[in-house]
Amino acid sequence: MIRVEKRKEPLRYQGAVAASSAVVIAFLVGCVIFAGLGVHPLTAYLAMGKGVFSSVDAFSEVLVKATPLIFTGLAVATAASMMLWNIGAEGQLVWGGICAAGTALFLFPGMDAWLVIPLVLAASALGGLVWSLIPALLKAKLKVNEILTTLLLNYVAIIYMEHLFYGPWRDPAGFGFPGTAQIPEAAHLVRFAGTRISLGFPLALLCAVFLYYLLKKSIWGYQVLVIGKEQRAARYAGFNVNGKILTVMALSGAFAGMAGMVEVCGIHYRLQTGLAVGYGYDGIIVAWLAGLNPLAVPFTAILLGALFVGGEQLQSVLGLPSSISLILEGALLFGLFAGQALGGYTVTISGRSKVAS
Amino acid sequence: MSAPVISLRGLSKRFGPVWANREVDLDLYSGRVHALLGENGAGKSTLMSILAGRYSADNGTVIRHGREVSFNSPAKALDHGVGMVYQRFMLIESMTVAENLALTVGKKYGRQDVDHEIRQTAEQYGLAVDPEKRIFELSMGERQRVEIIKLLMLDAEVLIFDEPTSVLTPPEVDALFVVIDRLRSEGKTIVLITHKLEEVLKLADDISIMRRGRLVISEPIDARQMSRQQLARLMVGRDVVLRVDKKEVAVGETVLALQGFSGDSHVGGPAFTDVTFEIKKGEIFSIIGVAGNGQAGLVSAIAGLTRAEAGTITFAGTTYTAREWGMAGAREIAYVPEDRYHSGSIASMSIADNFGLTRLQAYKTGFAGMLLDREKMAADGSRAIREHNIVVESGEDRAGTLSGGNLQKVILARELTRNAKLFIAEQPTQGLDISATEDIWRVLLECREKAGVLLVTGDLKEVLSLSDRIGVIFNGRLLEVIDAHDSDQVDRVGLLMAGVRS
Repeated sequence: MIRVEKRKEPLRYQGAVAASSAVVIAFLVGCVIFAGLGVHPLTAYLAMGKGVFSSVDAFSEVLVKATPLIFTGLAVATAASMMLWNIGAEGQLVWGGICAAGTALFLFPGMDAWLVIPLVLAASALGGLVWSLIPALLKAKLKVNEILTTLLLNYVAIIYMEHLFYGPWRDPAGFGFPGTAQIPEAAHLVRFAGTRISLGFPLALLCAVFLYYLLKKSIWGYQVLVIGKEQRAARYAGFNVNGKILTVMALSGAFAGMAGMVEVCGIHYRLQTGLAVGYGYDGIIVAWLAGLNPLAVPFTAILLGALFVGGEQLQSVLGLPSSISLILEGALLFGLFAGQALGGYTVTISGRSKVAS
Repeated sequence: MSAPVISLRGLSKRFGPVWANREVDLDLYSGRVHALLGENGAGKSTLMSILAGRYSADNGTVIRHGREVSFNSPAKALDHGVGMVYQRFMLIESMTVAENLALTVGKKYGRQDVDHEIRQTAEQYGLAVDPEKRIFELSMGERQRVEIIKLLMLDAEVLIFDEPTSVLTPPEVDALFVVIDRLRSEGKTIVLITHKLEEVLKLADDISIMRRGRLVISEPIDARQMSRQQLARLMVGRDVVLRVDKKEVAVGETVLALQGFSGDSHVGGPAFTDVTFEIKKGEIFSIIGVAGNGQAGLVSAIAGLTRAEAGTITFAGTTYTAREWGMAGAREIAYVPEDRYHSGSIASMSIADNFGLTRLQAYKTGFAGMLLDREKMAADGSRAIREHNIVVESGEDRAGTLSGGNLQKVILARELTRNAKLFIAEQPTQGLDISATEDIWRVLLECREKAGVLLVTGDLKEVLSLSDRIGVIFNGRLLEVIDAHDSDQVDRVGLLMAGVRS
């Protein structure tokens, strides 16, 4: 007899099981799609792999894509450590970008790089932080579901940004193209060795390490994790749950805001369309694939970055739609949740116990 | 009496190490109300959930009309005419009464006939309810009627009521009794799960009393020959007091004094009213009562987790109003909460991490006390494991993997290391085996050498074994405080728990 039962204790390597099942499922989904499009799956995956690993330039693009993903991944992971869903990293990223561009263009146009970069970074973090405090306050004071508020505020942020670069902030010398003027050179992030990898990448790694130690070694981090795991225990211990909602969301928003800064000051050098391309949403996948472990976030961000760069190769080499990488991304998330759900059960076959998934 | 409509034979059910039911035999007859009486946790609801197909028994059989049957789902049980009205109604709040009923009985009648059938059933049994109303618009009593109609439309012969009056207002209770009377006269079999004696005496024909998963008396008791006092005694039991070495301890200064303490329950159950008592260092003061008599709210307010409304509280020489106390947060009180799995500990964290839950002050280090001293926390955890003989592989074991007794020792050890003046233990041995129980009792007795101990429990044996003074709580009021050394008085505790003052 086969019996499926809910597991009483969570699997020891639950995170690893879920992450690997995500990769396997995404791989299989890809095979089906490629086969359906008449391309041998191996040819397609080889093309993707080649696009990523064929040259230093190609791989550097992966890290370029990974940089904002690390920040948004950390943003989502920060909130999720307390079981808060920050679906609003996109909007917070946008506000980070707005504040970065605005600060660089209008507040400190003539300043030296060593002063202006920290100021711009702080401004972007503050922008994301303030934006994330709106859903945080609504949640703490009125118990409004943060999934809805964070998500919906994304659209508000994006429309406001468009208003700025189509309207008051539009570059007067820009031949009518939507976008602000280029930010002063002092506010450009340093790039490494002729690639587009900027100072933003090591900064992102630094943030990952910072968050790891904050959660593991600080009193604040301990309380956040307890609240995330067992609210009743937190209340019994007298933790200030509402206060933590505010600080956690603030930190989360600050990370997402910095993603906007590294995009504006590291890649685009201006505020224009192309800032809000979904890095905020991708951060959800990055964070959960990493099992909410900040130190794993850079790796999953690079994995997703590679998927995007590889997806572009599908288009240029094989003439396939590059949006296939979006499908694979979706399959990753589904695979992850499937792995998590299945990992919560055991399958007993005639008395012997085996692990599902 | 005719043959039973349904019989249970040798039914046993275990949850982990705890026997919820053990070798229970029960016969139910048509046209009779059978009361299943017992304290919370005695195993009544589990037994009836097995009969209703919600749980499956580990051992034993169910015999219906002389044939052995097995119910592996509530639907299967209903096919055999057995249905249960749960304490939490199984209704979809945003749908109308008719829609809810169509969901379960629609197949049998077809959507059109459902309305007609509802009205007819309602009329036959005096269950007034408007089929067009949405569930959330209904009172609790009306919702309950919908549940009863549901079972009747499915031709249930055996109707099990799980604490049916717990959510009802007094007039609704009276109306329910009329309905149950009607059901009985129509030949239905009624099971009434309850811990309220008045209900039993008013309604029941037969009574079975459960304690710790077993029937106290194997034959059903004739309700007409029982008095309140006899029932109370049977329900609470009067087990032999286990011998625990109880050292003489000199009583010291007053640690905690409540004066007219009143407040709402924020944690379920009734409010507590005008509670006055004091606890001195060196004594164990027990509050005993059947669960749901206001003790949960009282403890939560004393521990400072919720705010009381009126009265004063004096702790370690300072007097606070109820409101001030709630705001101040009672951080210098050690507290072992009733729910050791979700309040007292975090299942997915290690034992070492669990040691920090209420003691973060002790582990502050570095950067203006913002960092957590994990080494010290782990060391304290390991020491507790050694000192209290906690059976684990290491301090890195997750709390969720521990047995109830070991987990309780971890929590107890953590609260002991706070060296608080007041130590609160709430249902500290509920669900634990004898040896773990004795270990915990020893710790509590030791604890009173350094602090005043407030023990809140529903376990009479525990109270008689440990206490110096006993306060009995009933319906939110502290009925009496009794000296535990006065054996004449102690005999009255069981009756007082049932609200009998004689």
